[in-house]
Amino acid sequence: MLYVSLLNECQMTLISKNVLIISIIMVLALIGIEPSIAAPQIGMLQPGFNQAIVVLHQAESAGATSSEVSELVTLLNRALELNREALQPNTPLGRRTELLAQVDQILLSVEGQSAELTAISSQRAYRDELFTYAGAAVAAILGTIVYAFAASLYQKYRIKRTFQMKASIK
Amino acid sequence: MSSRFSKNRRKVIVVFVILIVLCETIAYLATTPRPTEQFFQLYVLGADHTISHYYPNDNMNISPGERVAWYLGVVNNMGTVQFISIRVKISNATVKPPDDQQIVESPAPVVTDFARFLEDNETYEIPFVWSISNATQNGGTTRILTLQIDNETYQISDWSARNGYNFRLIFELWTWQTDINAFEYGWNTIDMHHAAWVQLWFNMTSAPYISQ
Repeated sequence: MLYVSLLNECQMTLISKNVLIISIIMVLALIGIEPSIAAPQIGMLQPGFNQAIVVLHQAESAGATSSEVSELVTLLNRALELNREALQPNTPLGRRTELLAQVDQILLSVEGQSAELTAISSQRAYRDELFTYAGAAVAAILGTIVYAFAASLYQKYRIKRTFQMKASIK
Repeated sequence: MSSRFSKNRRKVIVVFVILIVLCETIAYLATTPRPTEQFFQLYVLGADHTISHYYPNDNMNISPGERVAWYLGVVNNMGTVQFISIRVKISNATVKPPDDQQIVESPAPVVTDFARFLEDNETYEIPFVWSISNATQNGGTTRILTLQIDNETYQISDWSARNGYNFRLIFELWTWQTDINAFEYGWNTIDMHHAAWVQLWFNMTSAPYISQ
C-alpha cells in the first residue's frame, strides 16, 4: 500500500515536472515567434509624457513663439520614437532599459526648457503688453497736442481772416 | 478772453479723453488673442497623392500580397501643440463604425497606431503601404490572419467577411488628454467634443482556399 502511494507520489512529481517543462518550452516558443509579429503599443508611454505636455502648454499660454516651441516638439517626437523602439518586442532588455532612460532624460530636459520658456515668455508678454498700453497713452497725448496746435492755428487763421474781411469792407 | 481759453481747454480735455479711450481700446484688441476655431483635419490620399486611385488598377478587390499605397495625414488647427494618435482598425460590414452622434469609437480591433506631437498648423503626413500577407478562405468565409503595414507584420485575431466582401480599414483620430493621462477618441474644444475618422473599403475574394 505504502509502495503504491510512494509510486503515485513519484509519478505525480514526474508528471508535474513534465507539465512544467512543456509549459516552459511553450512560453519560450511563443517568445521566439513573437519578434516577427508587431503589436500595437497604444498607451504604453513613459509617465513623463503627460507632464511634458502640461508644461509645454503652459509655455504656449505664456506666449512662447512657434519657433521656440518647435524645438521642444522635435525633442518630444524624438522621445516618442525612442519609446516606440524600446517597446518593440524584439528589443533586448538591456537596450530597452537604456532607451527608456534616454526617453526620461529627454522628457526631463523638455520640462526644464518649458519652465524656462514659460518664465521668459511671460516676462516678454508682460513687457510687450506694458509697451503697447503705454504706447497707446503716448499716442493719445500726441494726438491731443496735435489737435491743440491745429485748433490754435485755425483760431489764428480765423482772426486773421476776420480782420481781412473787415479791411475789405472798408 | 478767459472764458474762450477755458472753453478751449475743455475741448482739449474732451479730445484727450476720446483719444485715450480709442487708443487703449486698440491696444486691448491688439494684445488680446482672438478666439479661433479649433479643429483637426484627417485625410487619406491615394497612391498619387490625390483623392483617387486608392487601389492598384482601381480595383478594390485586393489579392494576398498585393501592396496598396496610401498617404495618411493630420492637420492640427487647435492653436496649441497637440499629441495625437491615428489608430488603424480593421473591420467588416457588420461591426459598427465610429458613432458621430455620441462620439464613440468603433469597437473594431486596433491593428496599429501612429502617434506624434504636432505643432499648431502643422501637417503630419505619412505613407501608409499595406498588404494582406496571410488570409484563408473556408466555407464562404474569408479570414485575414496577418496584415503588413510599412514592412511590419500585424497579427489579426480572426477577422472575417462573407465571401471576402466588405472589409474595411478605419482610421480614427485620438488626442492625448492631460486630465485623464491617456488618449481619448476625438478632441475637446471649449464647448464640444468632436471626432474625425475615415474608412476605406476593400474586398479580398482571392484568398487561398483551406479545406476543413
